[in-house]
Amino acid sequence: MKSARKLLPVLLVLLCCGTPGFPQAPAAPAAPAAAAKPITDADVSGAPVPSADARAKGDPDGSLTGTASDVTASDAKKGVSIGDVVNQVGQNKIAINFVWTLVTGFLVMFMQAGFAIVETGLCRAKNANHTMMMNFMVYGVGMLAYWLIGFTIQMGGVGAVANLGGTPPLNSEYAITLFGKSFGLWGQNGIFLVHHGTYDVGVMVLFLFQMVFMDTALTIVTGSAAERWKFAAFVISSFLMGAFTYPLFANWAWGGGWLANLGANFGLGKGYCDFAGSGVVHAVGGISALAVSMIIGPRIGKYTREGKPNAILAHDIVIVLTGCFILAFGWFGFNPGSTLGASGNGGLRIGSVAVNTMLAGMAGSFGAILYMWLRYGKPDASMSGNGLLAGLVAITAPSGFVNPVGSVIIGLIAGVLVCISVEFVDRVLKVDDPVGAISVHGANGLWGVLSIGLFADGKSNYGGSWNGVAGSVTGIFYGDNGGQLVAQLIGMATLVGFVFALSFVFNLLVDWFVGQRVAPKAELEGLDLPEMGVLGYPEFELKSEG
Amino acid sequence: MMILIGLVVTLLGFVIALFSLLLHSVGGQLVLVLVGLAVSLFGIMGVLNKHYLKNAIWKKG
Repeated sequence: MKSARKLLPVLLVLLCCGTPGFPQAPAAPAAPAAAAKPITDADVSGAPVPSADARAKGDPDGSLTGTASDVTASDAKKGVSIGDVVNQVGQNKIAINFVWTLVTGFLVMFMQAGFAIVETGLCRAKNANHTMMMNFMVYGVGMLAYWLIGFTIQMGGVGAVANLGGTPPLNSEYAITLFGKSFGLWGQNGIFLVHHGTYDVGVMVLFLFQMVFMDTALTIVTGSAAERWKFAAFVISSFLMGAFTYPLFANWAWGGGWLANLGANFGLGKGYCDFAGSGVVHAVGGISALAVSMIIGPRIGKYTREGKPNAILAHDIVIVLTGCFILAFGWFGFNPGSTLGASGNGGLRIGSVAVNTMLAGMAGSFGAILYMWLRYGKPDASMSGNGLLAGLVAITAPSGFVNPVGSVIIGLIAGVLVCISVEFVDRVLKVDDPVGAISVHGANGLWGVLSIGLFADGKSNYGGSWNGVAGSVTGIFYGDNGGQLVAQLIGMATLVGFVFALSFVFNLLVDWFVGQRVAPKAELEGLDLPEMGVLGYPEFELKSEG
Repeated sequence: MMILIGLVVTLLGFVIALFSLLLHSVGGQLVLVLVGLAVSLFGIMGVLNKHYLKNAIWKKG
């Protein structure tokens, strides 16, 4: 013990001075470096490459694959030049961004499956085929409308999308002058994806990514109008939404339209900001769902003669919660993919965006489950799922601008808000929404838009500016003067005032010309046979309330 | 008729919010946009929805 005490000071001195015997001890000072020699074409073309013999033996450890020999020379006689290498670097950057945007777009496309089984599970078994078919066909109907005209209206004048290599053909925006400023209203290039040079690789990637977003908005409506929507009316209504309603607001927010330019034109922060679409996708979908549900009216049996709501139970909570998981998975495409790239212009922030997304979803499900548990004494399964989705909807707009603490607060509020909103829509408005789409997507889409004006922390940097205004998006809790909040509120007023009215008028016309609602007999029987001709579950015995 | 009035009120709220852009003070803009939002919500919930509730299917028996 005494010898150990004697050794202790020696050990401390050794620790303070460093341990000269360790391999990472400082080396002797190096000789002054010679002046850097410029790299020439000869250096590049002479870069070592593995021999043909070595390659013929295979490459189990991967060290011989992907070398200088894979850089293509523009002039085979001269060999690879510096220009070839630089071009390859540029193409690699854009290739990374293409692959990222496409793969995340594929994830968003798969969300259609999640929506389909969430909505079908929340409806009654007698409407399973009809609800699934609406979710299935909305993909094709929406895509057709968007390819024909929707994409042109939304993105035809967006200008250069740097992460996708420029997209130069999308350069024509129709604008009017209002209050002395230019107000972009809709794009003009891109019809059929061939018009005005839009048969372009970058434009194709942008189309695919934006198309699946549009389809997400459309499929929100099928949930709120389920169990009584005439299939033909659904097809026409969805077509109009994919062709006009969605693209118009999306142009104003993302396509270079007037909302995006509120910062540049009127000094309101960075203009209306919506990173991945709480407003553009979810609020547009939720608000359109409100318009359709009001016109179409509640299901038979949803309200008593005194106007008291009856609970109409979901037929399969297992597929509802499975669908929620599929949606949460797809959301990793929705939000991180909205950088439109992983390389350059702040693309590495995809890590932060993905974490914000998962945290807000978690907080949303906690918010809803705690609210329901405290209020009704049980943790409600379908509301837990809706809480998860509400958190994800709310974080969609701010996911690129807030930090993890902000994400959790936004998600938690969303989880409680969805429960309160479902009760309000059900009991006060008496609007029948079988899946809670108006609350999940409408109310929380608006909350997500608003939250940017509060929680954006001013730390994001996507190429030094956003919407053409230098600096980072910042909310009032992080020092903004309120201009960003005003821009967000103007976006909300546009959604509630303009998008609702436009959607309402379209669906009123559908109601007048086609009729939105099925006959009462068909509704009582279940829509599978009268509307689709086949039962979703032909071997089940279904109970009828009729 | 009530549908038309409801639609006009809903759109009016949007126009009020738009006119906030003419103001120079952020506080004034904030108030005017909130007024616009409230007007639009009244158009939807107080006029349009009320009209549909009058003829609701559950009142018909």
